[in-house]
Amino acid sequence: MVASLLTARGLNKQFRSGNQPVSVFRNLSLQLDRGESLALTGRSGSGKSTLLNILCGLEQPDTGSVQVLDEVFEGNNTDRQTEARWANLRRQQIGVVFQEANLMPALSLLDNVRLRAGLAGQNEDDCRDWLERLRIGELAGRFPDQVSGGQRQRAALAMVFAMNPALILADEPTGSLDRHTAEDVTGQLFDLQSRHGCGLILATHDAELATRCSHHLDLGHLPET
Amino acid sequence: MTVFSALLSHYRRHPLQLLALALMIVLATMLWTGVSHLTDHARASLAQSERAIAGQQQLVREDGQALSVQDFAYLRRQGLCVMPWLEVQRPPPEGRVIGVDPFASACFGTEAPGQAGVDALNGTPFLDIAEAKAMVRQGSDGALSLLVPVDVEADAVPADYRLKDFSMGPATGELGESFLLNLDALGVLVLLITALLVRSVYQLGLVQRRESFALLGRFGVPAARVQVLLLIEMVVLTSVCVIPGIWLGRLLAEMLGGSFGQVLESLFDAPLYAVGGDGFVLPALVMVTVVLLACFADRWLLRRLPWISGRQSVLWFGVPALGLGLAMVAWPFTLGWLYVGIALVFVAVGLLTPRVLSFVAQWRAEGAGAITLWQRRELAVLFRRLALPVVALQFAVAMVLAIQALVTTFEDTFERWLGQRLEAEFYVEVPEQSAAADGVRYLAGLSGLGDWHLVQRGKTHVVPEMAGDDAATSVEVDLFSISPIGPLVTGWTLLDATPDAWEKLAAGQGVMVNEQLARRQGYQPGDPIGFVLGEQTLALPVVGVYADYGRPDGEILVAGKILPETFNTRFQSLSLNPGTLAMAEIEQGLATVWNIDQLTVRDNGSIRSLASGVFDQTFLITRAITVLTLVLAGTSLLVMGWVFFTTRARYYRLLFVWGLSRREAAGQLRWLAMCLTGAVAVAALPLGVWLTWTLVSRINPLAFGWSLPMAVYPGFWLEMLVLCLVIGLAIAVLMRRQLGAGVAAPVVANVSGGGER
Ligand SMILES: Nc1ncnc2c1ncn2[C@@H]1O[C@H](COP(=O)(O)OP(=O)(O)OP(=O)(O)O)[C@@H](O)[C@H]1O
Ligand SMILES: [Mg+2]
Repeated sequence: MVASLLTARGLNKQFRSGNQPVSVFRNLSLQLDRGESLALTGRSGSGKSTLLNILCGLEQPDTGSVQVLDEVFEGNNTDRQTEARWANLRRQQIGVVFQEANLMPALSLLDNVRLRAGLAGQNEDDCRDWLERLRIGELAGRFPDQVSGGQRQRAALAMVFAMNPALILADEPTGSLDRHTAEDVTGQLFDLQSRHGCGLILATHDAELATRCSHHLDLGHLPET
Repeated sequence: MTVFSALLSHYRRHPLQLLALALMIVLATMLWTGVSHLTDHARASLAQSERAIAGQQQLVREDGQALSVQDFAYLRRQGLCVMPWLEVQRPPPEGRVIGVDPFASACFGTEAPGQAGVDALNGTPFLDIAEAKAMVRQGSDGALSLLVPVDVEADAVPADYRLKDFSMGPATGELGESFLLNLDALGVLVLLITALLVRSVYQLGLVQRRESFALLGRFGVPAARVQVLLLIEMVVLTSVCVIPGIWLGRLLAEMLGGSFGQVLESLFDAPLYAVGGDGFVLPALVMVTVVLLACFADRWLLRRLPWISGRQSVLWFGVPALGLGLAMVAWPFTLGWLYVGIALVFVAVGLLTPRVLSFVAQWRAEGAGAITLWQRRELAVLFRRLALPVVALQFAVAMVLAIQALVTTFEDTFERWLGQRLEAEFYVEVPEQSAAADGVRYLAGLSGLGDWHLVQRGKTHVVPEMAGDDAATSVEVDLFSISPIGPLVTGWTLLDATPDAWEKLAAGQGVMVNEQLARRQGYQPGDPIGFVLGEQTLALPVVGVYADYGRPDGEILVAGKILPETFNTRFQSLSLNPGTLAMAEIEQGLATVWNIDQLTVRDNGSIRSLASGVFDQTFLITRAITVLTLVLAGTSLLVMGWVFFTTRARYYRLLFVWGLSRREAAGQLRWLAMCLTGAVAVAALPLGVWLTWTLVSRINPLAFGWSLPMAVYPGFWLEMLVLCLVIGLAIAVLMRRQLGAGVAAPVVANVSGGGER
């Protein structure tokens, strides 16, 4: 059996609020293959970000297993070796885009892309091309605080693509952009994703955007106490 | 809700910030009050002790016999105002005490030496003569002197007695004054550093309140109104905080003051009188002013001189100011000029350091790998964003370096000065003028005696232009004569000399002058110097310049053989090493030759050990003050660094998101933090060395006419570097905990700050 790109089985996650355990999700499973995209929707606080964090090892589930490529992670495990395996995946295979603050403020857009590509072991020479492709080539030398929010998010996408990932996790990447810019940015995201054949999980509040993904998972409800 | 309470609500939500600000003001006040209190204290007691010692005279017996109670009774009966002064030498560690009779001293009026001390000091070192007598009975050595007021003339003295100058030990007054001057400089620096620290904490708070100010603006509150309210807020806060600060400062001064008093006491052979409690008003006013200036002066300045906010203007102002300041210090005209120069240098360095460090951090970083580039850029941001605490720590480290060098130099200098003066193991006072020759003859005939010489002191006139014997244009200086010139003096380190200086001096073909005289009159080796000896005027070349620390007067050193018979010798003594002989034997011999039953003999070893003890304690105090400043500056950089790192935590977490392991990410932070503080130490080094140089080679010569030797202590530099690195490590450790908690927490859209570059 050929392993899928990403499989999650029986994930459980609880937070404590005060003394009360709050269950964010129970027994959640999902699967994603290369070239596929998955939209995560749900109300604010329904656990989208938490799930994405678990899928890239930034947070640990209470129970359940996650498999990415040929790495398998079981339950809540924070030992050094597990951490190193996750770090390695994030470095080379999983690109993460947040709603904001994806760039180092002290580096120009180009240097940010170079840094990300360099960490992933990719050729740093192609970085300018990525900025060109995302139509911010002329801003390469500017610093994050010298460009607009939409331009910053495009730079963030350039960084992700420059690392040539197998999986992209995007947490409301266009959440703080106006509708027009948001469509532009997500258009490019889908475009490049399908061209490179990587997996994409997109957390979003935008129902229309969700329909453009090949799969849709609604976390829907707020967590239960 | 009023605007004011809206403003204050910030502190209700962030009580720690208020606490930090209050704490900073309290600590700053404490530090400054402590230092200035100590200095005031020291200055007052110095003045008093000088009054107590200066210009006293005593009566001695013509026959050279020791004075006794019978003498006292006889003189009193003659209607003379005499005061008994019983010096008791107790075995260490108690040291010397002085018994005085408060009743007998009544006729001295307020001028009575030691008078005020009897009650105030609770027995140290002045005590009631009855107690001193009891000590003598218990076996301590005691020597009785009888003091008379300075206005007593020689013809009022009964036959069999004569007047003689009275002084206690070596007069180190100027060395002490110079030390105090440097303590003053320390006080000013402390004030500057504390101002920087208060400002940095205040600024940090302002940045975090920016949003609420904007909100108030949107609600229609004019910005000027907010400014006034902020000013009131600070005035109230400072006024509240300085009170405990001053109180704590006093406490600090008292704690340190005990040992400080002992230092001065043993240094000047004078007690540290208690200084009455000073008012709270002046220090409080100073502190409030400093805090307000630190927090608001720039606003005022910006409004008047808008150009100073430009990025370039720091350079435009800083670089010329630095050059000008350095030049003013290098070629100072007056002390005031010098201080202005120093202030300029500090301001310029404070402005330039963050820029320069930031520039160096990213210099030629382009070619490096992406991660190195990030490190260096990030470091550059840190230097700029943490400019205030960085500069405060830089100043503090520089100050500690300078003070350490200064204190060590003082100790060293004092040792050397004592070494010059106390080369022999003992010195014996020659009881009267005519007795010197007998003493010399006796010593010359002793076999087995170590090195010895006769010291004769008097006054002479230097004739600057050698234009005849015109005494009106001449300068009075001390004459110091030694015979024979031997190993006891030829080991002195000379500041400047011609070849074979000692030989020429011994042969009477030249003289040496002390540094003070050389500086004042511009003498250099080889220059002829004209001076008056008795009836004749001599012209001899200067063959050497020797350091003569801590004395105000010029001095000429000559070989005893050129002194004419008619020279008016004011003081004579024999310095000697007993060699294979017993000192008691020599004393016995001299007493017989001179036909007296008690010699005045000083054991130079004990004086020397006393003096070294003094500086050990001085060390302790100055160290305590400087270390406190350092701790304050270090803590402030720690807190500010941590707070700033926290605002940037979400960016540092990116490292983690991008696949660095927790350890690697923490390593990056450690590198950043330690580079930050390490660079501060490195930047402080030149400033510290320069400050030391300024203190010893500029301030001292200008103020006192003699310089201290400049010394550097690289071992101590290393200590400072390590200390700074430890501070950096502490920031990194705090940060690591911050990163560990809730990795990659979702980003809030409206966070202000943290994204600076
Ligand atoms: N560190 C934490 N400690 C306690 N509770 C947490 C923590 N992180 C998240 N939660 C809770 O878990 C739930 C899911 O949070 P999550 O951030 O995943 O929601 P989300 O779906 O991403 O919301 P949004 O659309 O607003 O971003 C929320 O109710 C949140 O309060
Ligand atoms: Mg979320």
